[in-house]
Amino acid sequence: MAEKGYLPKEKIKEFVEALGKDATVFAPCLEGDTIVFREYAAGKEISLDRPANTPPKGAIYPQCETLLSFEFKKEADSPQKMDVELKVNTDFPKAVVFGGRPCDARGFTVIDRVFVNTDTADPYYKKRRENTTIVTKCCNGPVAGCFCVGVGGGPAVTEGSDVVMTEVDGGYYLEAVTDKGKAVMSLPMIQDGASYEAKAKQANEKATAAVRNPFPAGADKISGDLFDSGDFWGRVIDKCLSCGACTFLCPTCYCFNITDEQAITTGERIRSWDSCMFQHFTLETSGHNPRPVKHKRFRNRVGHKFYYYPEKYDGAIACTGCGRCIRYCPVSVDISEIVGYLRDPKADPKEWAAEKKDAKN
Amino acid sequence: MSTQKLKEIIKQVLPDVETVICWQDGFDKLNVTPIFITSPEQADKVVWNPLCAQNLASYLPSQKKKVAVAVKGCDSRTIVQYMQEGLIDRDNVVIIGIPCKGVVSKKKVQKAIGNEPVEDVTFTDGSVKVKTPSGEKTFAIADVCPGKCASCQYPTPIVYDHLTSEAIKSDKPAESVYADVAELEGKTLEERKAYFLGQFDKCIRCYACRNACPMCVCQDSCIAETREPHWITQKLSLDEKLMFHMIHSLHLAGRCVECGECERVCPMEIPVAKLKKKINKEMRDLFDYTPGVNPEDKPPMYTFNVDEAKIKEHKL
Amino acid sequence: MTGNENPYLPELATVTKVIEETPNIKSFQVVFNDAEKMKNFKFEPGQVGQLSVFGVGESTFVINSPPTRMEYLQFSVMKAGEVTTALHGIYEGDVIGVRAPLGNWFPYNDMKGKNILFIGGGIGLAPLRTLILYMLDNRADYKDITIIYGSRTPPDLCYKDELKEWEERSDVNLILTVDNEFPGWEKRTGFVPTVLKEEAPKADNTIAITCGPPIMIKFVLEGLAQLQFPEENIITTLEARMKCGIGLCGRCNLGHKYICKDGPVFSLKQLKELPSDE
Repeated sequence: MAEKGYLPKEKIKEFVEALGKDATVFAPCLEGDTIVFREYAAGKEISLDRPANTPPKGAIYPQCETLLSFEFKKEADSPQKMDVELKVNTDFPKAVVFGGRPCDARGFTVIDRVFVNTDTADPYYKKRRENTTIVTKCCNGPVAGCFCVGVGGGPAVTEGSDVVMTEVDGGYYLEAVTDKGKAVMSLPMIQDGASYEAKAKQANEKATAAVRNPFPAGADKISGDLFDSGDFWGRVIDKCLSCGACTFLCPTCYCFNITDEQAITTGERIRSWDSCMFQHFTLETSGHNPRPVKHKRFRNRVGHKFYYYPEKYDGAIACTGCGRCIRYCPVSVDISEIVGYLRDPKADPKEWAAEKKDAKN
Repeated sequence: MSTQKLKEIIKQVLPDVETVICWQDGFDKLNVTPIFITSPEQADKVVWNPLCAQNLASYLPSQKKKVAVAVKGCDSRTIVQYMQEGLIDRDNVVIIGIPCKGVVSKKKVQKAIGNEPVEDVTFTDGSVKVKTPSGEKTFAIADVCPGKCASCQYPTPIVYDHLTSEAIKSDKPAESVYADVAELEGKTLEERKAYFLGQFDKCIRCYACRNACPMCVCQDSCIAETREPHWITQKLSLDEKLMFHMIHSLHLAGRCVECGECERVCPMEIPVAKLKKKINKEMRDLFDYTPGVNPEDKPPMYTFNVDEAKIKEHKL
Repeated sequence: MTGNENPYLPELATVTKVIEETPNIKSFQVVFNDAEKMKNFKFEPGQVGQLSVFGVGESTFVINSPPTRMEYLQFSVMKAGEVTTALHGIYEGDVIGVRAPLGNWFPYNDMKGKNILFIGGGIGLAPLRTLILYMLDNRADYKDITIIYGSRTPPDLCYKDELKEWEERSDVNLILTVDNEFPGWEKRTGFVPTVLKEEAPKADNTIAITCGPPIMIKFVLEGLAQLQFPEENIITTLEARMKCGIGLCGRCNLGHKYICKDGPVFSLKQLKELPSDE
């Protein structure tokens, strides 16, 4: 049974501060003209007007975190023997992700399948995930590049969220999706919202109708032939700079690196976001690299999101259509356009062959 | 009219080159994207308008065969610098020069329209009209252009094989180039430090600025990611981020052609070009050298004089 | 995995012996510091472990001692990059980290009652060793065992003492070779794929297991195809750049399979069904 609430706009700050009483709140904060997800603190200005440049992914899956710390120890009477002591911390405070969008919340469900629903679950992600409540703001309409409805999402879907908020009449209509969400709804500044429900649903429907679906009905299978065509990938990804901005801004990208950093007798093993677009991502010590050129790496990226992941997880797509990779790509690579070509029932590798062409790095 | 002439030139040079690099319409009305043309039909997709901000010359060093590329004046400085440093073979490039009166900054346009969705964008001489759900707004291009256009000294490409229209002379005073640097120099050290620390705090180490930079040659062996030598860790702390940006900027001393790509591509809207421009200003004052304006020049970091004209060594 | 709920947490282990196999390969025998964990440790032939040199990093190596000989775990390391060079500076008594067992293993139960053909090159003998020793410890379960093993030069042959033992056994057919003539080497010369061709083993009721440098594997697979070995009877174990070792970090994938978790042991038939990056 969903709880229904209403929060006037002037009470947002109070609401966030109440959420922050026993949890760390991550909220979209305005810094200059940029909206960045930050740990909220008094003095920061929250902006819900448009999706933040960065997704809230870092709240549950930090860009850099310590897996373990180590310390080298010696006994005075046996100096030739070096002992190591390891310490691990999986004690994470409660957190709230406030003001992300439905595409951001769904992003966590994509990472959950890999990091939690496995026999080798990641204890850091799992603990943070359990300790985090997600309060999502539904979108009034699409922004440049986004296409959530084309990948099983929508501007008002509840998947991955504990509470969803829709803008109505000088405030927000709130609905609890889970038990965690119900706890949020019991905060004192939330008024009864039943009378706003109809208007909110109307706004949600209007927003959903406005979002583009780049994939026509029936175009839901990747053409294996085109996927394997070097000509195709060389053509569509010539312009890519192989930077990594797309992966770092993506709500579902989760590839990471593990590195040891040491300072004399102590150190840490840290896990940091990595990008499959980097040239050295799969570079082996021998010098062999299975994906040395950028079009192979891009093929793997698209393949992972739209081909391999769905194969492994019953059709679920590892992309929530937020559009950030399209908006912020330095050269405007459009992943929805590329997947559109791949899913075209009439896809033909021969159309992509050019006599004078070689795929550049 | 420029675009028509541009298409004609492209079709004319196409038989002699592997590909022609130009711009085409992007995913929405406010975006264009590069096109690598290999057939005359593709040439008809080409666009030329103030959205064509991207510096296409940065693709040149990775091209293995002969190519043609469309460049604005600022982009041509990249090619001149490549020639000075031997990073390209001039005979392997056909330069299609486009005299340009200024491009728009996507971010400035979006801010000016209150970040509303863009339905249509049209250009008339000197102004841009943007249609949003709440109506139409017109801006002078000079009000929404990136900093580099407001102080542009090279509106016409410096090197070219073809020109799409009449050459244009600059009407901006030379002092305007480093006006933003002068503004920061007028602040105290503490104020400057606070400014840069605040800005770089947003950095997510995505390396878009590095990869978009035409003069960055380290790229895949970047100090920010390598462990040989291990100078920078993968931590996201401010000092690690600053270290990367400082080293990257120093690598560009006397080489940065001020194309502004680094700032254009930063998804966190950090003014990364300021550091590089400051270093460039120092290099200009020390060595009387401006990068990317004369193919015959020798970059100061490529030469060594025991007695530098403007550097007073201590007397032994 | 060593009973740790945290799959990233290595088990501390002490190096009990260092063996210099070749000029650039060392074998390390390790024992967990926690005796209880060592006693209860279980693994299958073919599984790998991540060895940690704290402060430097981790790298993946096959456990090349068999589960039938559990006094220690043995890993063989070729000096190549940052971690392996650091490992080559490790001595008896030093403490390293071990995350094991990771990955899948050789389907040795399906191989019972069959002839086994091992084809190895250089350090590629390491993953084969664990299965060879396991099979020798369960000799009656398997029919003919043939080992074709070669390296560039005689000093580059791994496990020289064991090679002598296997040569002397009557229930193992060991065929050693080095690439070219070498002073003091009286035995066979020739590249491993060439020797395979010359030996022309029968494919009937035989499983072929191969590991070695990529170029050797390429020609061995061609040779086995010419000898009519069915693809499901050709097994190999793959390498890749690995970090997490548990199928999370996203880098060692072939399609949706991860070499660290769904491999590293694959049959040729399985490999052909996966999208390759080639």
